[in-house]
Amino acid sequence: MTGVRDWMGASPKKLKDIRAGELAQRFAFGAAVSLAAGIVGLLAGPRAGGLFLAFPAILPAALTIIEKKEGRRQAVQDERGSLFGAIGLVVFAVVCDVAILHLRVAVTVLLALLAWAVSSLVCYLASEALRVRSGRGR
Amino acid sequence: MSLGLRALVGGAFVMAFAALGEVLVPKRFAGIVSAAPSVAFANLLIVALSKGAPYGQREAQGMIVGALAFVTATIVGRWLVAQWGGLKGSLALCAVWLVVALGGYAVVLR
Repeated sequence: MTGVRDWMGASPKKLKDIRAGELAQRFAFGAAVSLAAGIVGLLAGPRAGGLFLAFPAILPAALTIIEKKEGRRQAVQDERGSLFGAIGLVVFAVVCDVAILHLRVAVTVLLALLAWAVSSLVCYLASEALRVRSGRGR
Repeated sequence: MSLGLRALVGGAFVMAFAALGEVLVPKRFAGIVSAAPSVAFANLLIVALSKGAPYGQREAQGMIVGALAFVTATIVGRWLVAQWGGLKGSLALCAVWLVVALGGYAVVLR
């Protein structure tokens, strides 16, 4: 891995490898976490419910499936990448907190999604650049 | 009605982001999507539209603490997944998230 092209890419062919059962498993998990956030919000208030909006909903199914298909090493690599997404998640929540009273709700959430993508990507690229400079990314 | 809608849309978003994660390479890059705001995006939108922006803001404040717990859990999770594998490691990661998130809630938000 020596350049930005090696650090980020897409392989649409892999979509064919996804089984319906795997997607259903992820849907069920996402639905369950959303339901939990709603119920906790009703019982303990919106701040408590809001905690669960940042629950690691994708990770358990993703890591289990990656380990099964591509081995533990790749699962660890995916987990390492999730740190950058989690940092972006903090930015997402802060943007929502700051902007939601001043902008339209839909605009706020879209702006927060953009902020998540940009901040996660910047952290990831900075980390990859540091890895290459230190000789660990080669 | 609102709870059912939140579950339905939240599940759909998690599924969509998970499919995106399958397509991206290398895995370190794809991992970013494993921490996408999949549940938050749709839920905040629905809640703020149905209950008002101030309610949505309070949920976002709770989410800041939850997201900081996520950052902590992913740092520890690297070791957990390497040691225990995908399933046990990620379940332990979720347990770390729960402890840190509830601790943060008790200290900061309550």
